[in-house]
Amino acid sequence: MNALAASFPGSAVSHDESLAREFEQRLADCPKLAYRVALGVLHNTAEAEDVAQEAMLRAYRNFHRLRDRERFRGWLVRSTFRLALDRIRSKNRRERHETNAMRTIEGTQREASVESLVASREFEQQVARALDALPEKLRIVMVLAAIKGFNTREVSKLAGLPEGTVKSRLFLARKKMAESLQCLVKNTPVG
Amino acid sequence: MSCQKYSGWLTDAALGELRADCELELLVHAAECDACREALNHAREVHQFIDRGVESLVAGEPSPNFATNLRRRIAQESEPQQPPWMAWAPVAAGALVLALVLAITVAHLQVHSEVNPSVDSAMAPVSVPSEAAKASAASPQIVKRTESKHDPAPGVRARAATTALPEIIVPKGQLSAAVRLSAAIVTGRVDGNQLLAAEQEYGKPLEVKPIEIAPMEIPALDTATEKPANSIQF
Repeated sequence: MNALAASFPGSAVSHDESLAREFEQRLADCPKLAYRVALGVLHNTAEAEDVAQEAMLRAYRNFHRLRDRERFRGWLVRSTFRLALDRIRSKNRRERHETNAMRTIEGTQREASVESLVASREFEQQVARALDALPEKLRIVMVLAAIKGFNTREVSKLAGLPEGTVKSRLFLARKKMAESLQCLVKNTPVG
Repeated sequence: MSCQKYSGWLTDAALGELRADCELELLVHAAECDACREALNHAREVHQFIDRGVESLVAGEPSPNFATNLRRRIAQESEPQQPPWMAWAPVAAGALVLALVLAITVAHLQVHSEVNPSVDSAMAPVSVPSEAAKASAASPQIVKRTESKHDPAPGVRARAATTALPEIIVPKGQLSAAVRLSAAIVTGRVDGNQLLAAEQEYGKPLEVKPIEIAPMEIPALDTATEKPANSIQF
C-alpha cells in the first residue's frame, strides 16, 4: 500500500494515498476479469496472466482518469482484449492453437475418461478455432457473455455498447459458431 | 412445404430470439412433425455446446502471485528513471577516453620527434644523405652518425648523443613511414635486429634449378606396313 502510494505521481501525499487505496480496491476484483478476457483470446494461462498484468499496469498508469469503477472495468476489458489480440498476432496462430488448446483441456478435465477426454479435446479445439474465426466485435461480446455471472446488461456496460447491439452481436456470433461447429455435433444441418 | 418455412426459425428459437407468436407456431408444428422437433432439439443442443465450450475456454483464475507480481512491476516502473541522454553516457565516456589516449600518443610522438634528431634531419634539407645512403637507393638506412665540423645543428646532435639513438636518413617521401618505424623500434614493438636479418635474407640471390624434361618415347616403325607397331587398325 505504501509502495503504491509512494509510486503515484503527484505532490499531495493524501491525494496519492487515496488513489493508491482506490487502485488497491480495483486490484482486488479486476484481475480475474482481465485474466478471463485474455484467456478467451489466447487460450493459454501463462500468456493470459502476462497480458492481464500488462493491462493492469496500463490501467495503473491512467488511473487518475479511470477512478470511476464501471469506467475502469470497461477500459480494462477493452485494453486487455486489444493487448491479447496484439499478442496473438505477433505469433504463429496455428501453432499456438494446437498446443494451447491441449493445455486447456489438460487443465480443466483431468478426471474425465480417456474417450471423453479425446472427444472433448477435439471439441474444445474446434470451439476455440470457431471463436477465433469470429470478427473482433463479435468475439469480445461472446467472450464477455461466456464469463459466468455476466448478463447482457453487464456485457453492454463492459463493452461500452447498447444492450440491443450486444444482443444482436451475440446472436450473430452464436449463429456463426454454430455453422462452424454443426458438423462436429451431428451431421444434420442446423436451422 | 411448412417444414421449409419453420427451418428458418430454428436457430432463432434455439437462441431465444424468435418472436413469441412465431415461437408458439413453431412449437405447435414441432409437436406434430418429428423432423422439425428433432432439428429444433439439435439446434438447442449445438448452442448449449457452444456456450459451454466458450465458458470452459474463459474459465480460470489468475495465479495467487498475480497481485504481488503486479505490485513489483509497479514499483519497478515508479523507480526514478534516467533521463534519455544518460543512455549515451557510456558512449561519450568511451569517446572521451579514446580522445585522451590519442592526444597522449600524439604528444608522446611529438616529444619523441624533438628528441630524435633523425626527424629533424629528415624534415630539413640540412641533413643531406651521405654517399653510403645515396648508394643504398630508396631504402631507409640506419647509420651511426659521427660529429663533424660542419654539423649544422650541434645542439640537436648533442641531445641525440645523450640519448644514444641511431640517426635515420630518410629519402624524400618516406618520412612518415620512417618515423613510425623508428618509434616502433624505440618502443620495442619491432625488433630492429630481426628486420636487418630479414633484409639480409631477402638480399641473397635466388637459387635457380633447371627443370628436367624427360624425352618422349617414340615407338619404332613396323618395317612391313611403315606404321607404328601399336597403331590402331581400321
